[in-house]
Amino acid sequence: MTTTVDTSLPERFRALEPWVADWDLATRVERYEKRLTKTIDELQDFYDAIAPLAEEAIAYLDTRDVNALSGEDTRLLRLLYSMIMVSYPVNIFKQPRIPDSGAAFFDTAVEPAL
Amino acid sequence: MAIQEKLATGRGKYTPGYPNLDTGPVDYEDSISEEFFQAEREAIFKRTWLKVGRMEQLPRNGTFFTREFVGLGSIVITRHTDGEVYALHNICAHRGNKVVWQEHPTNETQGSARQFACKYHGWRYGLDGKCTYVTKRNEFFESLPDDELAMPQLRCEVFAGFIFVNFSQDAPPLRQFLGEKLATELESWPFEKFTNHWSFRTKVKGNWKIGIDALLEWYHPAYVHGRFLNTNVAEAEKLVPPMDSYHYDLFTPHMLTSVPGPPLLKKKEGSVGPAKRDMNWAYRLFRAGLFGPDDVREDLGHLTPNRNPGNVQSWSNDQYWLFPNLSVQLWGRGYYITYQYIPETVGTHAYEVDIYFPEPKTASERLAQELVVDSTIEFAMQDTNTVEATWSQLNNRALQTFHLSDMELMIRQFHKVVRDAVAAHQAGSEK
Ligand code: FES
Ligand SMILES: [Fe+2]
Repeated sequence: MTTTVDTSLPERFRALEPWVADWDLATRVERYEKRLTKTIDELQDFYDAIAPLAEEAIAYLDTRDVNALSGEDTRLLRLLYSMIMVSYPVNIFKQPRIPDSGAAFFDTAVEPAL
Repeated sequence: MAIQEKLATGRGKYTPGYPNLDTGPVDYEDSISEEFFQAEREAIFKRTWLKVGRMEQLPRNGTFFTREFVGLGSIVITRHTDGEVYALHNICAHRGNKVVWQEHPTNETQGSARQFACKYHGWRYGLDGKCTYVTKRNEFFESLPDDELAMPQLRCEVFAGFIFVNFSQDAPPLRQFLGEKLATELESWPFEKFTNHWSFRTKVKGNWKIGIDALLEWYHPAYVHGRFLNTNVAEAEKLVPPMDSYHYDLFTPHMLTSVPGPPLLKKKEGSVGPAKRDMNWAYRLFRAGLFGPDDVREDLGHLTPNRNPGNVQSWSNDQYWLFPNLSVQLWGRGYYITYQYIPETVGTHAYEVDIYFPEPKTASERLAQELVVDSTIEFAMQDTNTVEATWSQLNNRALQTFHLSDMELMIRQFHKVVRDAVAAHQAGSEK
């Protein structure tokens, strides 16, 4: 079995491969919905896995043309978006949903393609 | 000394400086009465300039988008082959069918077209609304006019790239309505450079004015948003700048408040250090926080002489409130947000948050934008939930009058301007 290019990350960040299935998500809506399906422990596990590599990942992506990222690089960028999405729950709320937000929800009508 | 203490100016209260605003309790009947709601729609929403979108939504001649305004109707905004922008009532001159829609008649849509064809019997319309073709015309009668058939036009004007419409033919022109001061201060912002756009929509169970109230004061952040600042409310309170550090300018019917914010992070040198479960660490990693990206782009020219007109120390943003329902917030760190509140019934409104950045040049710039967007929406969710909680109780009329502090002077002004507009309209139409 070969891992197809579709599921891989840039060489230096292969340690994050196990998180690709859940967190390589193209839109903010998908990331928010994913966040709500997880327990706070699961969100923490993801955060703790990616946070130590995040600074290096940002530096690496900054060597690339942001308008012409490869599939691998795009996947890495999306994992960083997902890290942002889980950062408030992990660092502040201690739960997946923002406290006292109840049924509040925003539909995303427009967001950038990348 | 904490930055918050340094910001205090000791200037005293603002409200007494506006003699038209009394300081007594405020009656909230204007937010719960069905009768007032109907009067408000007639007096304000049917005769005031309303933002419907931005020019970026009409990128080429022949493009269009629709807006669905509950209680006001469906509107089509088009850019004709001559480049002119038109706003049309979305109604067919034959038997009144909605002309422009896709799949689901109540959903908004957009696209490009040379003309619109009614889905019912095939009448066709140009992008200026004029009927260009009547199918089986010879089956009609002499009473069918030759050149008056049209999807009716509304007045439509563009200011700083924002498209406004007005349902009334008598209202003053947009620029006159905005006033020279507001127009000049807003116009100097290069809106066209901010095209990386996020748009969020939600429906809120509450009167539209109660929604706006939640953004008109700096009394609530320590409590509603306390956990972002510090889990200990007493500590969170200390982080909200003192009342007198804000700038207020109530130029009826519009308003401005300018807001201080935390200083920029120091320029990045070396590593942010080992990963931590700590939002301040995340802010340093992504070089952004709620107040915007820390690596401010120098190429945007957004810090014009018209920014920060009140000389606020540690200035963060200018929040313009365009009567009746739009706020345009210009952020010093290089982005802008609009908030719009569109009444649907006395107890519901559509709430739209649009966030605009420049196109990012690097991945790190894009990530900083993502963090700002996420932060904004987390805060906004807490606000909308609070609005729903408030309205559900106001609506019971267990209490009828409420006490507004000096920190809430813009709320006092806003409700007064709405009530005055309704009273003036009613007085005028009784004559
Ligand atoms: S209603 Fe439009 S063509 Fe008949
Ligand atoms: Fe708030």
